[in-house]
Amino acid sequence: MTREDDSELRDTALEATELDRRLTATWATPPGLWGALSTVDHKIIGRRYITTAVVFLALGGLLSLLMRLQLAQPEARFIGPDRYNQIFSIHGTNMMFLFAVPVMQAMAVYLVPLMVGTRSIAFPRLNAFSYWMYLAGGLLLWIAFMLDAGPDVGWFAYVPLSGPEYAAGKRADIWAQMITFTEVSALAVAVEIVVTVFKQRAPGMSLDRIPLFVWSMLVTSFLVILAMPAIMIASTALILDRLVETHFFNPAEGGDVLLWQHLFWFFGHPEVYIIFLPAVGMVSTIVATFTRRPVFGYLGMVMALISTGVLALGLWVHHMFVAGLPRLGESFFTASSMAIAIPAGLQIFCWLATIWAGRPIFKTPFLFVIGFMVIFVIGGLTGVMVASVPFDTQVHDTYFVVAHFHYVLVGGAVFPLLGAIYYWFPKFTGRMMSETLGRWVFGLIFAGFNLTFFPMHILGLRGMPRRIYTYQPEMPWSGLNMLISLSAIILAVGFLLFFIDAIRSGRSGAPAPSNPWGASTLEWATSSPPPPYNFARTPVVGSLEPLSDNPDMLPVAAGLRVDCRELLVTSVVEAIPEAREPSSGDSIWPLWAALATTATLIWSIFTPWAVVWGSIPVAIALIGWFWPKGTSEDDS
Amino acid sequence: MGTESVTEKANVNPASALMVAGLLLLISSGGVFGWLRQARELRLDPPGVSDLDRFRLMQNGISGTPPESYFALGKVYESDAYNLSQGKRLYSWFGCAACHADGRGGIGPSFLDGWWLYGPEMVSIVASIRDGRPHGMPAFRDKMTIEQIWQLAGYVQTIGSYTPKVAAPSRNDDKHTRPAENRGPAKILFDEGPAGVHADQGPSP
Repeated sequence: MTREDDSELRDTALEATELDRRLTATWATPPGLWGALSTVDHKIIGRRYITTAVVFLALGGLLSLLMRLQLAQPEARFIGPDRYNQIFSIHGTNMMFLFAVPVMQAMAVYLVPLMVGTRSIAFPRLNAFSYWMYLAGGLLLWIAFMLDAGPDVGWFAYVPLSGPEYAAGKRADIWAQMITFTEVSALAVAVEIVVTVFKQRAPGMSLDRIPLFVWSMLVTSFLVILAMPAIMIASTALILDRLVETHFFNPAEGGDVLLWQHLFWFFGHPEVYIIFLPAVGMVSTIVATFTRRPVFGYLGMVMALISTGVLALGLWVHHMFVAGLPRLGESFFTASSMAIAIPAGLQIFCWLATIWAGRPIFKTPFLFVIGFMVIFVIGGLTGVMVASVPFDTQVHDTYFVVAHFHYVLVGGAVFPLLGAIYYWFPKFTGRMMSETLGRWVFGLIFAGFNLTFFPMHILGLRGMPRRIYTYQPEMPWSGLNMLISLSAIILAVGFLLFFIDAIRSGRSGAPAPSNPWGASTLEWATSSPPPPYNFARTPVVGSLEPLSDNPDMLPVAAGLRVDCRELLVTSVVEAIPEAREPSSGDSIWPLWAALATTATLIWSIFTPWAVVWGSIPVAIALIGWFWPKGTSEDDS
Repeated sequence: MGTESVTEKANVNPASALMVAGLLLLISSGGVFGWLRQARELRLDPPGVSDLDRFRLMQNGISGTPPESYFALGKVYESDAYNLSQGKRLYSWFGCAACHADGRGGIGPSFLDGWWLYGPEMVSIVASIRDGRPHGMPAFRDKMTIEQIWQLAGYVQTIGSYTPKVAAPSRNDDKHTRPAENRGPAKILFDEGPAGVHADQGPSP
C-alpha cells in the first residue's frame, strides 16, 4: 500500500482489530529512555504528574511530622529555630505549589481529554514542557532545603522579611524562582485545559452536557490564567529588588511593602479556589456515580462553580485585615467573604439532595466524599468567623488560623483527591484498589485529621502564635500540643496505609473492567487503562450521562485518519464537528526547552546576565521545537 | 501513587528505572553537598563562642593569629551572607554611624576609603571593637557578645573591601547614600586618576 493510499484511509474502512493495530502504531509511545523523555501522551504525562505530586505530598507530610515532633513538648531542642523556619516555609510552599495545584491539574491532564471524548490534550508538547518545568521547580526547592539554603520566609514570603535587608543569602530568591517554575507549568496546563474543553469535545457534547468535573477544571483554569500572573509579577519584582537593587518594595525610595501583600493575595486567595474547585468536580462525579443518579441541580452547580470563580477574585484583602487598611475597604471584603458561603452552601445542599434522592453505595470513594462534607463544612464555619474583622484581629497569626485553613484545604481538597484516586485508580492502572484497606485508610485519616487539627482551634484561642519553633512550659499549651502530635501519628499511619495500598494494588490488584463503578461519563467507555489513542472511534454524546442512555451501545463518529495523529475539533457551544486537526507527535524538544529554561532561571538567581546569555539556549530549543516538519495540514 | 513503579515492575522499563536512578542521584548529591556546606548556626556551642575571644595580636596591636575555632567554623564571619547581614544590623544598633557615618567617616575614620589604620585583618578589627583604640574608639567588650563583635568586624571589613566579596549583606530599605558594600567600594583607592585619591586619614595611632 503506498503512502498516497494510506492518507486516504479512514477508520471507517477498518475492522476493530486492524483499527487498533494501526492506531496503536500511530499514537503509542516508543519504548526506551528516548521514548519516555520525548512522549507527549497526556495519560503518561498525567500519571507522572500525579505520581510526582503525591511524592511531594509525602515529603511535605514528613516535614509536618518533624514540626509536630519539635512542638510535642515545651522547650524542645530537637530542631533549631533556623531549621524550623525552613521546615514550615517549605512545608507550606511545597503543599501549595508542588502538591495541591499540580495534582489537581494533573488529574485534569489525565481525565479531561478522556471525559470530553478526544484523543489527546490540546498542545501536547506544551504539556510535556510543563511537567519538566514543574519537576525542575520541585527539585530546586528540595535540593536547596538539603543544602541548608531552603526558603525560611514563610510560604507567602512577606517583604520586608523576604527583601534584601532581612533575608540574607539566596534563600528567598530560591523561593521566588521556584514560584516562577510552578507558575509557568500551571499556566501552560491551564491553557491546554481551556482549549481542550472549548474545542475538542466529542460531537454533541454541548455546554449543558459537559461533566461537572470538566466544568470545574474549566473554571479553575480561567482562575489560574487570571490570578497567577499576579504572583509571577510579585516574585519577579522581589528577585529584581534583591538582585539588581530595584525598589519595588522599598518605602524609602518610593516603593511599597503593602504592594507585595496585595499582589500575593490577589493570587493567593484565588489559589484556594484553584485547589478547591477541582475537588468540587471530583465530589460531584463521585456522588453521581455512587448514588446512581445525576447530581441534583446541574445548572445550579455550574452557576455555583462560575460564581465562586468570579467571587474568588474579589476576596483577597481578608488576608490583610491587620495590615492597617481603611475600615470601608475591610467591610467590603468582609461582605464578599461572607458572600462566598452562598455558592458553597448551594453546592453542599445539591450534593445532599442527590444523596437524599439516590441509593448511596458506601464504597471507599464515597466515604471520602462524606468525610469531605463534614470537614469542609467545619472549615467553612470557621471561615465565616475569620471573615469578620474584629474576630480576625484576635486570632490572626494564631493556631486558630492554622486549624481553619487545614480544615478547608485538607478537608476541601485532600479528602476529595483521595476519594478521586480510589475512584479513578482502575482507569489509571487497570487494577482496583483494596476496599478493605480503603476503609481503614479513610477511618484513620478521618479520625487522625480531626484529632490533629481540631485542638488547634483551642490552642489558637488560647493565644498560641503560628510559626514558633518552641514555647515556654508556663504557657497553657503543652498538653494539647502533645495530643496533637500523637494524633498526627494516626494521620500519618493512615497516609502510609494509603501509599502501601496504592503501590500494592498497582502491582497485584484485582484487574479492573472498563467500567467498574457503573459510572456514566465517557472516560469509562474505553478500556482500563485506556489505549494510547483513547477511543478507537470518537464517541457521540446525546445527553449529560452518555453511558446511561443505552448501556450496551455508544454512538460514534468516524472519518479520522489512522496513519497520523488526528483529532476532531468541534464548536464551542454546540460541539458541532468543525474540522479534523492534526495533533503533534512525540518530541524531545520540550525537554531541551525545559532544561534551558531551568538553567536560565536558576542562574538568574546569581547574576542578571543569566537572562542575556541564557536566552540563547532557550531560543535554540524553541526554534527546534517549532521547526516546520513539512507535513501539510489536512483540514476539512 | 506508585503507578510509575507499577509499569516498571510489569515490563521492566529501563527508561523509567534510569530516570528514577538519575533523580535519586541528583537528590542524594544535594544531600552530600548540604552536609559539606556550613550550616547557619543561630546558637553556637558555649565553648566555641568563648574560644572566639582567644586570638593573639602582634605587639603593636596590628594583625595576629585568629583562634583555631574560627577556622573550624569555616571563617563564617567574613564569608557568610547571614553573618555579614547581622553585622550590618549591629552597625546601626550599636551606634557605629555616630562617628563613622555610613562608612565614609565623620568624627571617626572612614572605612570606605580603604585605608586601614590597623590593617584589614579580621583580628585587628575585632580587637579594635572589643578593646577600643586611641583617639576615641571606645571598647565594646561589655556591650556586645564576642560573636556579635566578630559579625560586626566582618561587616566593617566588607565596607572597606578592595574586591567585591561573593557573600555580601544586601541593601537596606533606606535611601542610598554610598556605593553598596558588595561592590568593593574601597577599590577607588587604586584609581589612577590625574589626582588620585587622597584620603584624609585622621590622626595616626
